[in-house]
Amino acid sequence: MAELPLLDRRKTAARLTALWVAVIAAFCALAVAFWYFQVIENATYVRMAENNHLRKLSLRAPRGVLFDRDGELLVENRDAFTISILREHITDLDRTIQRLSAAAGVGEQQVRETIRRHRGEPSYRPIVVIDDATLSQVSAVLARRLDHELPGVVVESVPTRSYPAVGLGAHVLGYVGEVGEAQMEADGLRSGSVVGQSGVEKAYNKLLMGQDGERRVMVNSVGREITTLPGEVPAFEGRRVKLTIDYALQRAAEEAFHALGYEGAAAILDPRSGEVLALVSLPAYDPNDFASGIDRATWNRLNTDRLRPLQNRAIQGRYSPGSTFKAVVAVAALEEGVITPDFTVTCRGGATFFGRFFQCHLKGGHGRMDLRHAIEKSCNTYFYTIGNMVGVDRIHKWAAALGLAGRTGIDLPNESDSLVPSTAWKKARTGEKWYAGETISVSIGQGQVSVTPMALASLYAAVANGGIHYPPRLLKAVNDGGGWKEAEPPAPQGVRLKPETVAALHDGLWMVVNGAGTGGRARVPGRDVSGKTGTAQVISLQGAKQAAGRTEADLRDHGWFAFFAPRDNPEIAGVIFAEHGEHGSSAAPIARHVLETYFAKKAGIKPYPVFTPPAVPAAAVAVPPAPPARAAGR
Amino acid sequence: MFERRLYLHVDWLLLGAVYLLCAIGVVMIYSASGGSRLYLTQLAAIGLGTVALLVCLGIDYRSLADRSHVIYGFFILLLVYVLIFGVVRGGGRRWISLPLFNLQPSEFMKAALALVLAQLFGDSRHRAPNARDLAVGGALTALPLVLIARQPDLGTAATLVPVLAAVAFVAGMRLKLAGILLAVAVVAAPVVWSVALQDYQRGRILTFLNPSRDPLGAGYQQIQARITVGAGGLWGKGFMQGTQGQQGFLPVAHNDFIFSVLAEEHGFIGVLAVLGLYAFVVLRTIETARLARDRLGALLVVGVLASFTFQVFYNVSMSAGLAPVKGLTLPLMSYGGSSVIATLAGVGLILNVRMRRFTN
Repeated sequence: MAELPLLDRRKTAARLTALWVAVIAAFCALAVAFWYFQVIENATYVRMAENNHLRKLSLRAPRGVLFDRDGELLVENRDAFTISILREHITDLDRTIQRLSAAAGVGEQQVRETIRRHRGEPSYRPIVVIDDATLSQVSAVLARRLDHELPGVVVESVPTRSYPAVGLGAHVLGYVGEVGEAQMEADGLRSGSVVGQSGVEKAYNKLLMGQDGERRVMVNSVGREITTLPGEVPAFEGRRVKLTIDYALQRAAEEAFHALGYEGAAAILDPRSGEVLALVSLPAYDPNDFASGIDRATWNRLNTDRLRPLQNRAIQGRYSPGSTFKAVVAVAALEEGVITPDFTVTCRGGATFFGRFFQCHLKGGHGRMDLRHAIEKSCNTYFYTIGNMVGVDRIHKWAAALGLAGRTGIDLPNESDSLVPSTAWKKARTGEKWYAGETISVSIGQGQVSVTPMALASLYAAVANGGIHYPPRLLKAVNDGGGWKEAEPPAPQGVRLKPETVAALHDGLWMVVNGAGTGGRARVPGRDVSGKTGTAQVISLQGAKQAAGRTEADLRDHGWFAFFAPRDNPEIAGVIFAEHGEHGSSAAPIARHVLETYFAKKAGIKPYPVFTPPAVPAAAVAVPPAPPARAAGR
Repeated sequence: MFERRLYLHVDWLLLGAVYLLCAIGVVMIYSASGGSRLYLTQLAAIGLGTVALLVCLGIDYRSLADRSHVIYGFFILLLVYVLIFGVVRGGGRRWISLPLFNLQPSEFMKAALALVLAQLFGDSRHRAPNARDLAVGGALTALPLVLIARQPDLGTAATLVPVLAAVAFVAGMRLKLAGILLAVAVVAAPVVWSVALQDYQRGRILTFLNPSRDPLGAGYQQIQARITVGAGGLWGKGFMQGTQGQQGFLPVAHNDFIFSVLAEEHGFIGVLAVLGLYAFVVLRTIETARLARDRLGALLVVGVLASFTFQVFYNVSMSAGLAPVKGLTLPLMSYGGSSVIATLAGVGLILNVRMRRFTN
């Protein structure tokens, strides 16, 4: 091969020089590019790299555990899995939703809807799309995540509410749910936080909620955790809370209701302190359904159910108290000095007031009776008479003093006002003046009077206690890790009644149960149970709805039984409200079972008594139900 | 085979730079693979590559060029063999299974092509290659290119084009001709786009232009590569401290994205140092071409250099997310036996030419 000719060599050299220059230019361009990315834009990429591999995981604090007054477990927590989407690391949300829905076997639409609801939140915050995932859903998702198919999908274990006694005391305990937007802002809560939505869960939400912690973890490209960074903020469990509820009594009351087939309500108190020993509202719901987000179908069913299972009848249902109201009229008449216990009225099956005849329920009349016997026999004529003498405003005054009007102040949300009318009330309400004839029906707890079972229980606790009463309360003690601390006892309310008032009422109410009265079915030998039956009319209130296809059972009256025991130094008081029970005597067996259980427990006798329905059908024992006030003026 | 006189003329500076790059590569592979034993394999490949280097250095390049058609033919046969009996891995049929490692003939094809093209244009009686020479050269390039592209391995196939271009350019191809070829390429591009490219190939190019189009696939890698480089900063995060490479955000970090790992862990300073080394190797090699005793030597050096330089530029650009993600290694540094051995063999050829610049 020949040496290169000079010219050719020069041309080759020139072209090599061109290459040389091009290479230097290219290397310089690369260096400038790297300088730009690494030095100028460094901060941006550092942040992006951190977002890549740093995850803040919230450590959900378990809510506080709830106990009954004796330490019996009412509400605890279990571990549930949630599946969340972390949008920050997902660029094709659509595809992720499709794959996740397919893997977990849930509706795509439902997942989309959930994400849409949370779309305003920062993208680094996980959105829970599947609550309480089954193990097969969890493993399906985890398997696909390892295959890089579902980056940005997070599986977390979260403590979830569990109510072991399914449905028992549901309305006391309430239920939890995801925090709403308004509350989130008001209380500074994180989106997705679980808060109490009703019952004690809501009333004491702040105590129960605990404090969520936080953990920072490093994850790899498929979102798998590699290491935990130091500086973990641990989650603090909510306070442990002891309720005043007595599990045994609560169960006894509900069992008795179920055995008799009644819906209704019950409120059992300790009159000496206002502590609520049992609070029943039936039909109930299962709070477990709400624990990890209630599904739409169940929610709709609960809300459209004609029997309104979500309503807490004990504090939200208002009914006319019927004859149980006679205790208030008696107190007002005695305390105002209008009558003495020995004041007598002769009942001839009714009486005429303001030119109109008002019936007593006993057609033939009760004859001549004093206050004690009038209570025992529930004589309408007697109470028409003294009610008329006292007047509606003084009845209202004493009802309010004994806690029957307005709210009892129980530590539960959404309590309804009980109503005992007055002239002022009517003026304000309708602008019309009060007619004296209206007082006659009020005297036997009809007309405008409408009270919650809790308010009536509060009244009977006051009567039992000689006039002094306490706002009913459910909070017994709180344990924030340093032992149980008793809750502050509420200030006493009401007025001390005159001894002869208390003696006359206690005697009369004792005779209702232990004499020839209508409450014989609540008798507990040796326990001096005192009480009063009552009937709340349904047809008068809902007569218009008759055409709306209601069955006959729906139109039967409600039965009340209000009671306390023992007569002297009472330690338990309460109200049983049997929906469509027709008469108070049908509610009395429930009271008896509660009382038997109470006294058996107090005496340390186990097992607790089993409920036995009355041997004779209710109708045979009950005083012939010629509803007295139906004839009364309305 | 080795005369003492020749030994004195070995370019020790170039050799030093090359082995320094290899060493840096081994260290980065160790880091990127999280301290696994991969670096040992790489060391073994460097050892084998050194043997190849010595062989390519020992035999006079003129003797090699005389047999270039045999060598070329041999590797063409190997490529055909691969297409039929090759080992399939990662979506491509590229390897021949050998007892110790898998051989990737396409890596060796680059040097073989440089040799045959140097022989063609260096041997040419014309002062500058004419259209006929270009046609023959084009055919010689197209044959292996198609074979490699069929594996499919578009990246490696593409590295053959610069070999032809550089050799023809330095051989004195008229710029007018080059201009015409360029014009043809521009006109042909849309046709190639719609006819010759597969859907997935079109997709890749679109993704490069808009990475968020496929953020979980190729676009993801491009985004992550940029993040990896950018997060390195001026001084880097330190040896084995890079989070992007260590935690798998960057795929095949020890292989195609070794330079990104370097950029993350050793920062802009480390990038400058390594780019400087590569620039030194390239410029020193151009110098070798200038010093070459004959046309053949100059063209051989340029041919070997062309694929090397192309791959360096492409891979470094890709490492910063500046080029579409292709399975192209960074010569000397990336993990991969065939790549290291073939590159070192090429270095042997370059040293060969320089060493024998005074001999007849």
